[in-house]
Amino acid sequence: MTTTISREQWGSRFGYLMAVVGAMVGAGNIWRMPYVTGENGGGAFLIAYFLLLYLIAVPGLMGETSLGRHTRQGLIGTFRKLYGNSRLVGLGLVILIFNIVLMSYYSSIVGWSIYYAFHAVTGTFTQTNFDTAALWQAFSGNTALNVGMHSVAMLLVTSILLLGIKGGIERLAKWMMPILTIALIAIAIRGVTLPGAMAGLEFSFSPNWAYLTRGETWLAALGQALFSTGLGWGIALTYGSYLGRNDDIPLGGGIFTAIGNTSFGLLAIFAVFPIVFAFGISPSSGAELAFVALANAFGSMTGGYLWALLFFMGFFFANLTTAIAITEVGVTTYREERNTSRTKAVLTICGIIWLLGIPSAMNADILGYLDFVVGNWGLPLATFIIMIAIGWKFDAHRLRVLSLNRGADLYVPRIWELVVRYQIPAIMLGIMAYFLYTNLGQTPWKTVSGLALLTLMIPLCMWIMNRRHDTPQVATSTGDQSS
Amino acid sequence: MSLSAIIVMLASIVALWGVAGYALVVSMRHEERKLSLLHSQGDFEPFSPRAFRDLEHWLTQHPDSEHAPEIREWQGVQRQSLQHNPQRFYDWSNADDDTREAA
Repeated sequence: MTTTISREQWGSRFGYLMAVVGAMVGAGNIWRMPYVTGENGGGAFLIAYFLLLYLIAVPGLMGETSLGRHTRQGLIGTFRKLYGNSRLVGLGLVILIFNIVLMSYYSSIVGWSIYYAFHAVTGTFTQTNFDTAALWQAFSGNTALNVGMHSVAMLLVTSILLLGIKGGIERLAKWMMPILTIALIAIAIRGVTLPGAMAGLEFSFSPNWAYLTRGETWLAALGQALFSTGLGWGIALTYGSYLGRNDDIPLGGGIFTAIGNTSFGLLAIFAVFPIVFAFGISPSSGAELAFVALANAFGSMTGGYLWALLFFMGFFFANLTTAIAITEVGVTTYREERNTSRTKAVLTICGIIWLLGIPSAMNADILGYLDFVVGNWGLPLATFIIMIAIGWKFDAHRLRVLSLNRGADLYVPRIWELVVRYQIPAIMLGIMAYFLYTNLGQTPWKTVSGLALLTLMIPLCMWIMNRRHDTPQVATSTGDQSS
Repeated sequence: MSLSAIIVMLASIVALWGVAGYALVVSMRHEERKLSLLHSQGDFEPFSPRAFRDLEHWLTQHPDSEHAPEIREWQGVQRQSLQHNPQRFYDWSNADDDTREAA
């Protein structure tokens, strides 16, 4: 049985907090949240969102981080500590595969942001009569360039992860997250001072209370609260496993992570929609908003070079810190399972992700399909598996008493156990069932094939882990622990 | 901008940036205090009075559990720290007598 191998710890509290919030702040905060907020009743959506954030994301992240800190293991090692050498350890492998698949196509998005950051540096958007739509079309249609940017993104992720937890991830996050904050604040200040900008804030914040009675509003808020905070993907568990034994979890790993992450979404509302409305652009989300509409608006603004540079560099930083966190889940697990060096683990996992990511980089339909399967069922299933492991297998009561409230800056009461045991798993099952119901009629082939893939993957992973246990793995045990 | 939009905007700023900023500052200050205690006396008590009471309660409920030794180990760490260290990380002034006695 694998036990704890010698492992690093975060070098500072600030470093950990920046790394974990950086892990959660990604493309979705910047190019999705402003639009989703405006489209779902503005202030009404924000109220639903805050409520779900505190009811689901905060307690869930506390549990996941706490479990990681307690086991001091990656995904599979944690599941092995919980389930022993049984086939159920395969559930850890299932979540690991979701992470790797997620990163295989997220790497393309990181590649896009590198490409646009490069153009911002070279001043492309401020050229006279520059057509940003044509640039996006040309880039999207250039397969070699997309594969190249995906490769550059993976090279960057690899080089940072090679430097380790403290020297790579933490050092990077300590610089990038404050720069991202300053960049978004600066753009927001510029944005709200533009003529007509107030309409953007009105669109985002004006409360339409009728939306609170609509199921779609709550579902959109739930989706944003879950996917934006990365709950249940193994990231909080992996980052938590590098915490000291008396480090706080509830305030830093729970509240700050979830609320801090959403604060970036709010900052994006201030930074994006005033500009969108000031330039009379139709509100939208995704690549079209960032790479066509905003790039065009920056080109028309006074000092556009600076604003484009700040926005696209910030966007790149947000995506990079997330990509690093998703990849680290695989690196930590591989390193422990194979009892190998970090260098070998980083090169292996990044190599696998790079290879798997090539189809997504070549064809946007493949990226869309993977996002459809992973987003609709993979990630809710991963969250369900982790919450069941915390709430029932480990026992939420024992985790709260033994780990969550140890060294805590904030006391977590017993109600947390009910949330982790019943509420979050029930919501996850509900969300998967809803996605199945809504997608089956609209995209039957994608839905059935995606579900078939997932259904086959679970027993396959269980079989692999069961088979692997026939050949015991040996690892050294250490226990350097400090606050 | 309408008044309702302004109210929602300000409330969002307080609920998000306010809470996140407060959490960051408190978390950093507590960490400084922990580091200072580690530096001056080597360690500090890992559980607050309420958390320690939960720990004691768990042991009373599950004395023969396979996990009881691990919980007892932490109970020992807590007691030893409270006995040997002059300075506390948590505020024990409001702890009830039972908890203080158990510690």
